[in-house]
Amino acid sequence: MEHLLEVHDLTIHFFLKSGTVKAVNDVSFSLGAGETLGLVGETGAGKTTTALGIMGLVQCPPGKVLDGEILFNGKNLRTMDSKELRTIRGNQISMIFQDPMTSLNPIDTIGDQIAEVIRLHSDASSEEIRKKAEEMLELVGIDKTRYCDYPHQFSGGMKQRVVIAIALACNPKLLIADEPTTALDVTIQAQVLDLMNDLKKKFNTSMILITHDLGVVAEVCDKVAIMYSGEIVESGSLEQVFDHPLHPYTQGLFSSIPSLTRKVHRLTPIKGMMPDPICLPEGCKFAERCPKASPACSQTPPVYEIEPAHCVRCTLYKTDAEEKSK
Amino acid sequence: MPRYIFKRLLMMIPVLIGVSFVIFSMLYFTPGNPAVQILGEGASPEAIEELSNEMGLNDPFFIRYFTYLKGIVLHGSLGTSYSTNRAVMTEILSRFPTTLKLAALSIVIATLIGVLCGIVAAVKQYSVFDNVATAVSLIGASMPNFWQGLMMILLFSVYLGWLPASGFDRPVCWIMPALTIGTSTAASIMRMTRSSMLEVIRQDYIRTARAKGQKEKVVVFHHALKNAIIPVLTTIGLSFGHMMGGAVLTESIFGIPGLGNLIVGAIKARDYPLVQGGVLFIAFAFGFVNLFVDILYAYCDPRIKSQYSTHKRRKTKGEVAQAT
Amino acid sequence: MKMQKTNRKASQFGRILSRLCQNKAAVFGMVILLVLLFCSIFAGVIAPYDYAAQDLASRFQGPSLSHFFGTDNLGRDIFSRVIYGARISLIVGLSSVCLAAFLGIILGALSGYYGNVCDNIIMRAMDILLAIPNLLLAISIAATLGNGIGNLILAIGIGSAPGYARIVRASILSLKDQEFIEATRSVGGNDFQIIFHHILPNCLAPIIVQMTLGVATAILSTASLSFIGLGIAPPTPEWGSMLSAGRQFIRDAWYVVTFPGLAIMITIFGLNMFGDGLRDALDPKLKN
Repeated sequence: MEHLLEVHDLTIHFFLKSGTVKAVNDVSFSLGAGETLGLVGETGAGKTTTALGIMGLVQCPPGKVLDGEILFNGKNLRTMDSKELRTIRGNQISMIFQDPMTSLNPIDTIGDQIAEVIRLHSDASSEEIRKKAEEMLELVGIDKTRYCDYPHQFSGGMKQRVVIAIALACNPKLLIADEPTTALDVTIQAQVLDLMNDLKKKFNTSMILITHDLGVVAEVCDKVAIMYSGEIVESGSLEQVFDHPLHPYTQGLFSSIPSLTRKVHRLTPIKGMMPDPICLPEGCKFAERCPKASPACSQTPPVYEIEPAHCVRCTLYKTDAEEKSK
Repeated sequence: MPRYIFKRLLMMIPVLIGVSFVIFSMLYFTPGNPAVQILGEGASPEAIEELSNEMGLNDPFFIRYFTYLKGIVLHGSLGTSYSTNRAVMTEILSRFPTTLKLAALSIVIATLIGVLCGIVAAVKQYSVFDNVATAVSLIGASMPNFWQGLMMILLFSVYLGWLPASGFDRPVCWIMPALTIGTSTAASIMRMTRSSMLEVIRQDYIRTARAKGQKEKVVVFHHALKNAIIPVLTTIGLSFGHMMGGAVLTESIFGIPGLGNLIVGAIKARDYPLVQGGVLFIAFAFGFVNLFVDILYAYCDPRIKSQYSTHKRRKTKGEVAQAT
Repeated sequence: MKMQKTNRKASQFGRILSRLCQNKAAVFGMVILLVLLFCSIFAGVIAPYDYAAQDLASRFQGPSLSHFFGTDNLGRDIFSRVIYGARISLIVGLSSVCLAAFLGIILGALSGYYGNVCDNIIMRAMDILLAIPNLLLAISIAATLGNGIGNLILAIGIGSAPGYARIVRASILSLKDQEFIEATRSVGGNDFQIIFHHILPNCLAPIIVQMTLGVATAILSTASLSFIGLGIAPPTPEWGSMLSAGRQFIRDAWYVVTFPGLAIMITIFGLNMFGDGLRDALDPKLKN
């Protein structure tokens, strides 16, 4: 079965005066139609950069996509010219950014901002475009009489709904949502997530949900990929990763979540901090924080497939993988 | 919105009164008796005394000041010039259109060059164009107005003989003075446009526009520029004020019979009413231009527009100009 | 404790200095400033002729080895006059900026700290001063006071004060209500201490930048005022008055008006570069 999106060995670096930031290194994953992938990781792990890389929106300079293939519906996005890429952006692949407060143009009405994306990708008349934009507003729960209002007249949650309306206006096949609820109150978070879920089911949109919140992943995602220091260290289905986390980092993430039932003296965080992306260590990037590190970790481990579709990048599983391949 | 305009106009009045007070006081304390000036050094003390009384020069300070204010408010009169004996207002109004024409032409040149160069410099940051434009604008901003005028006369009048060095009657006379003032103002407008564009282009909503699949040209002109131009309006307004002041020197160099020239001549001739009236007039024009810019600002930025509908206070222009 | 404070201050200064030196434009500006300073102090040694020395036989000589910038209508060596002019410009520039900063800081501090009526009065006064275009205000004050260096310094200084007042006031307003001020007061600190030890150091950076750029504006104003005959009177070699005097000879002696103007331009350019670099070095966040 051909996947809707296949990313192979994506590498993105930023060339600054102070050094080279190796933001994304050899990232690979795939996504089928209608699936939701949760891309999980700490701040600075490279999630947003990966998403921007797929959209072709990495600022260059100073950034540059050095390597990799991004196959969307079988076509490599990296080899497309900018004109063709523009027909895909907003139309077949949409993106929702993190901070709704700054994602909307302050001097355009929200209605016009929705209409803009529709106008770019269709030949409809102005009345039809306006009607469609009003439909989208109603769909996300905003009264269509507010078509001519400006972004500053809305709250954060409502602004995010407008952003979602813009993203889904052209019925994209893939929606990339970069921490869509992080900047919102918890109660609004739930509303926005529900909205996204409903729309996703309605339009059968695939989604990449970037987040650092494992709870959100559990609610919404089918597949999970854990990112650390620019690499994907574990990926698999939701059940696989949540029930049998393999990578020590993933295990550390789950054990650091406070339990509602058990009473403990102290929480168990993961010791240390993510390495500076300008001077990444050789070999496994997690080794210096890993409780199970060994001398073998000085070599960058390849990705091993332990169960079908459950992959991990860790030398601990070298023997398991070798056994399996026998 | 009309309430806001009215309020601002109302607020201008105390400031203008303050300006008139400051100027009046300054000239009051200037040494020298105007009566002596008019009659000449050799006049008799009695004649001087008589003229002084007639002119009200011996009245106490506040009586003189209020008489002056009364004249402005009730008769629209700024007094009579000591040198020409005509109404100050007449003198000013005969010269003002010339200065206005010069300032208008200069601001058009400055805005066109400044904004265009600023946009290109910002979009192609760190490119050759950006570096050259920044360097040229810095050099232009460092060049004294009057020296630039002299150098232009040297090049275009003396060496090349293309343009006349003085006068303001034929359109060809306007080229050099307008370019002199215009290019130095263009420098500050360019810098402001560039920094404003750079700030705007980094904003998230620009990324949203690109993510929609929008063409880069539309992103730059519709999304970025329309947002970036707003603080540039402030710079343009302030520049207009500088032009009124700087016009003094340029008019002097190119022999243009404008308001600046009039004031400088009046200072040298100790013609106080003319100086007072002239400076007050320019202060009023300046204040008016600033008010106009503020209104334009509010029209362009819907956030500010709605602030005025709800009577909220926002940053004053000084604070905006300072923050930028 | 005190030693730690000094050490921290020293390393902060070191960091600022290193950031400044990395900026090539700022270094260029610094060099120009140093040259200017050098010329002002050692004018007597560098200048080959006395600035007032007339030599009517050598009038209107073009640039040559004996007269680098040529001679003017009275046979005076333009190069020497330009060098001495640096001294005047620098004196007026620095003094007026110090005066402006002094006045501005006090007014801004009073205005921001005590607020209410005091604030209103002072800020209205500043508004009035700002309602008149800068040059015109300086012209008016200079016309009132008369010619001379002292009066010139006053004229330019008073006109520039509102800028500093605004900076200090804004700084104070943003810091006044913060808790560390309350804490200081609760351990017995008086107003004076609070203003001078806690608040002012925080607005030092923008003030320094404003002062550097202010010297450039002051030099320009000096030249402008002298050009129309309101500042420094001849034969004192001020660059602006040299331009004014040389104007009438522009057709025959281009050098009389070119070199003093060039000196003004280079000085202001250097100061602007240095000021911009200083601004970037003192707060890298402000840089693009």
